[in-house]
Amino acid sequence: MRRTSGELIILCALPAAAILWIAAFFLFPGFLPPMSPGSAPSEVAAFYGDHTARIRYSMILFNWFCVALIPVLMLIVERMRGMAHRTPIMRYCMIGCAGAAPIAFLTATIFWLLAAFRPDRAPELTQLYNDLGWITFTCGVPFLVAQSLFLAVSIFLDQQEKPVFGRWVAYFNVLVAVALVPAGFAGLAHSGVLAWDGLLSFWVKNIAIALWIIVMSVVLGRALPRDRAVAEAAA
Amino acid sequence: MKRPAGRDDPKRELWLAWYAILVFYNLYTVVFFILTRTQPPGKPWYGAGDASGWFAHHHDGLLVGFALIFVLGGLSATSIALITYSIRRMSVSRAFAYSYLILYSVSAVPGFLFICVAMTAGAMRPDRDPALQQWLYDLGFLSFSGTMGVFLVGSLIWMAAILLDKNRVFPKWFGYLNLCNALTEVVVAPSWMFDRGVFAWNGLIAWWINVVVFGLYTGVFINLLRNVIIREDFGTGPLPGLPKRARGHAPAEVVS
Amino acid sequence: MTTTQPVTATAKEPRRVPGQPDMWVFVLFESLVFTSYFGVYLYYRAQREEAFLQAQSHLDLWLGVLGTIVLLTSSWSVARCVQTARAGQYRAATRDAFLTAGFGVAFLALKIVEWTGHVQAGHTFTSDDFFQHYFFLTAIHCVHLLIGFVVLGVLVHQLASPDRRSQETVETCATYWHTVDFFWVLIFALLYVVR
Repeated sequence: MRRTSGELIILCALPAAAILWIAAFFLFPGFLPPMSPGSAPSEVAAFYGDHTARIRYSMILFNWFCVALIPVLMLIVERMRGMAHRTPIMRYCMIGCAGAAPIAFLTATIFWLLAAFRPDRAPELTQLYNDLGWITFTCGVPFLVAQSLFLAVSIFLDQQEKPVFGRWVAYFNVLVAVALVPAGFAGLAHSGVLAWDGLLSFWVKNIAIALWIIVMSVVLGRALPRDRAVAEAAA
Repeated sequence: MKRPAGRDDPKRELWLAWYAILVFYNLYTVVFFILTRTQPPGKPWYGAGDASGWFAHHHDGLLVGFALIFVLGGLSATSIALITYSIRRMSVSRAFAYSYLILYSVSAVPGFLFICVAMTAGAMRPDRDPALQQWLYDLGFLSFSGTMGVFLVGSLIWMAAILLDKNRVFPKWFGYLNLCNALTEVVVAPSWMFDRGVFAWNGLIAWWINVVVFGLYTGVFINLLRNVIIREDFGTGPLPGLPKRARGHAPAEVVS
Repeated sequence: MTTTQPVTATAKEPRRVPGQPDMWVFVLFESLVFTSYFGVYLYYRAQREEAFLQAQSHLDLWLGVLGTIVLLTSSWSVARCVQTARAGQYRAATRDAFLTAGFGVAFLALKIVEWTGHVQAGHTFTSDDFFQHYFFLTAIHCVHLLIGFVVLGVLVHQLASPDRRSQETVETCATYWHTVDFFWVLIFALLYVVR
């Protein structure tokens, strides 16, 4: 009897989630262009007052679907079983990071939703929620950085004739990790490349994450059939 | 018999994780005790004006220190992973290992992410309304200290695994030390009720005694993990798939 | 507290502590932790002796004495449990373990009565410095006692089946129970007696 492992379904669900992420990204008026940390409280309050509905709907979408990345991360963890490792430690590292990163993003959406809940409150309070939302969203990269590094190390240690992932995937992950680093320092600047609306902290960071998701899903997609062939050969 | 070094060392993953733990705890100490001065904690009885002044005074240290945690905090996963692995080597159910893995991974968010976010938000705008600065100040310290209790259950799970284990991965006395640690984690809870005195978040009992016990406990388990790795016997042969190019694809894992 | 010393059978047998030596790490470590709690209490008491004495006068010494007697009796019964288990009388040993748990429950009930009385009189954890320490020390002791019930459960489980009966585990459990008892005697002396 032919058994379906279901892994392909998980992978195919990713584009659907990605469409929702992209839709939410464009729906949120604070991303294009990103809100400036230099705005006065009154400007921030006015922003939430003017765009209340779009902020709410986009953040509810993110709130629902930000955890949709976890199944894909678990697919990577499953692929890691095939690596020439002596211990499951690298997999445990990945699992440890997999849950924490989406939860950090989820926390950011909560702050944004709170800011939009009563746009007529004192502007300083709305600014506070807005700050907390942006800081959590921008600086909350520790688990994404660690995840990429763990994956890179795992691939470097996977020394076999046909490694699970190519060597270049490891270099790519190191590159992504490096690209995420400046975002952690976003608190230091109110304007410029490092600020949360700046080139490094916003554009480079978010493009790196998007690129990582695209590249890793392609890499995963190529790794899946090979595995099936191996399983058939073994049978 | 020569010990294989570097990439051929069968214990390389274990050693990598262990050294990452060292790096993480040293980074943690430097950031919290030296850069941000958030340990020992600020005064819980500070009024709005004092809290606002505190943020202004610690501005650079807070932003740079917590930025380092934002970037490298994920290394905490290595310690969780190595401990999870140690539980997998025990003669107990995998449920213990997986519970520990998830419990501590989830605890990372209240454990250090909230304080980083709250303190960064406070330091970013020292001119913010002092009442709001005080709110951030409380959020930072209370989310960090007051939530120590989430580690209680994890500690008990590790304890139960060690006491039941027949493989002697850890000495039994360390199992009991876990109980000591769990019992002092409980003691932090009164920090939610007091803004001064021995039970406040910087108090003698709620903070100092707890942090000394936790420090000892952490030092002990890092050393014991080292012993576990040293005692681990994978043999000295090459990894599967290395020079001999074995046919099989799936390498033999000791624990999978 | 050490009624569990092994009967010195032969002079050749090396001296050993009762139960797993590992448990004594717990005993020593917890003793240090409690010593530091006591140290903090005594330091603050010395700072404000008047206020502490005044608050202390609300404690009922005889309720404390009663609790102490109950807990000391439980220590005696757990010591008996070790002796009967060593003699191979497992049925009697199980009975002693249950007796110990019974005294433990009685102590817990006394504590709850005492706490309720204080709370109703307006003395709570947050009301003043002395009662902070009072509630903290008695509560953390009660947490130890609750763990003690789990330990007694392990003990009964050990005694229940011939495959499990290990004298070492019995003694380890008894050591834990004695330790909890020992901490209570210190707390009793500090909170109730020293005035």
